[in-house]
Amino acid sequence: MPQFRLHSAKVLAVSMSGDAVKAKNGSMVAYEGEMAFKKMSGGGEGLRGMVTRRLTGEQMTVMEVKGHGTCYFADRASDINLVQLTGETLHVEASNLLCTDSGLRTGTTFTGLRGASQGNGLFTTTVEGTGQAALMSDGPAVVLRVGPGMPLQVDPGAYIAHQGNLQQHFQSGVNFRTIMGEGSGESFQIRFEGDGLVYVQPSERNTVGGEV
Amino acid sequence: MSTAPRVLDVTTLPSTDNVDPYTFCVELNGQWFLQKGKMIAYYGQIDFSGVGHGHLDGLVAGSFHSPLHAADWVVAQGSGKMLLADRAFDVNSYDLEDGNLTVRSGNLLAFEPSLSLKQSIVPGFLTLIGTGKFVAASNGAVHFVEPPVRVDPQALVGWADCPSPCHHYDHGYLKGVLGGIRALTGIGGASGEEHQFEFVGAGTVLIQSSETLMAEQATGAVPHEAGVPGGGQGGQRGGQQTPQLPGQLGGLQRRFGL
Repeated sequence: MPQFRLHSAKVLAVSMSGDAVKAKNGSMVAYEGEMAFKKMSGGGEGLRGMVTRRLTGEQMTVMEVKGHGTCYFADRASDINLVQLTGETLHVEASNLLCTDSGLRTGTTFTGLRGASQGNGLFTTTVEGTGQAALMSDGPAVVLRVGPGMPLQVDPGAYIAHQGNLQQHFQSGVNFRTIMGEGSGESFQIRFEGDGLVYVQPSERNTVGGEV
Repeated sequence: MSTAPRVLDVTTLPSTDNVDPYTFCVELNGQWFLQKGKMIAYYGQIDFSGVGHGHLDGLVAGSFHSPLHAADWVVAQGSGKMLLADRAFDVNSYDLEDGNLTVRSGNLLAFEPSLSLKQSIVPGFLTLIGTGKFVAASNGAVHFVEPPVRVDPQALVGWADCPSPCHHYDHGYLKGVLGGIRALTGIGGASGEEHQFEFVGAGTVLIQSSETLMAEQATGAVPHEAGVPGGGQGGQRGGQQTPQLPGQLGGLQRRFGL
């Protein structure tokens, strides 16, 4: 199984011995040993994945990296966060996914209004199985636990990923003042309930929700 | 490098302290003022309302003294823990005890209502007066220095107590005919560091470890009155006055008696 570790906050090092990882196309910055890079069309999900990703706008250009040695990945000096999955599902925006163990399955799922408020479209990427994955964020992500009786509200612009058994609701505080242009700037939130982890970044993307 | 990320929840989040250099957690029990769009997540029951509406009028009158600027601020009300961050810039909290601090408007993120916020006479700056905590962002870590000190304009975040912030120009080497040519044409080179802000007297000056400014946040218009800097109507020469550097044509003319 490939071993993920952070070489620094912004560089991911993956040690491989004959096994493979899927990584964002072009994110390799250096490697030691023998590596082979292969572009995977449709995020490595076959023809069906290719069509789904094209239709949903969750495009992901992915390469398969296979070999012996250590491969280093980085993307535009984004901060990198490691996630260990043991059978649960990780939901992440395709643009925030850097690298996954090739043993993990990736797919697309419908998110509804949350996606729309983030300006990321209505769909998100899922990563399932057992293994490690690396997420990218603008600034190091804060990992927050959601438990029973401990719901969490997140600004859509700061949300990057979540894992575990979580329900999400879209919460809006839009009232007549928002329409008058005197909104609070915090009118839209995603409310997470259940049991799991939510990753937020210390920065807000420009979203439709952020304006009102 | 550790590989397992630290997982936090409502009980393990720090209480009104930094989570990491880029994220600040406020334990809310009452009210806080925030700049719009700086909340990234919260636990608990918190309402966000625009400043200056209905039931908040009293609060605004008490601790918010720049009415024309109020639209950029939000009151967070309720109880819980709230995370604040600003475009992955460094954030820090500062305690004031019956004190005052003037900060660049774009850097201020949030403050307790026990402080009152006023527009500074210096355009683009805000002054906080009173006792309480506030949170400000900076591009790179903040350093505290004591006057007398001259700082680069782009590195200045704010100052406390210093009564006389002023401009300082190094123009010794711009003297004479050659200096005039140098200043006019740039031939011979200017270091780009000829202009600083100078602070003297008792106090503290806050500088950031980068010369990249944070985006300016409007501080609101000032009354159009004579004598108000930036007010536009003051005196004969309104608005921005460019200082007359030696070496500008005017200076040369005077020097040669033209």
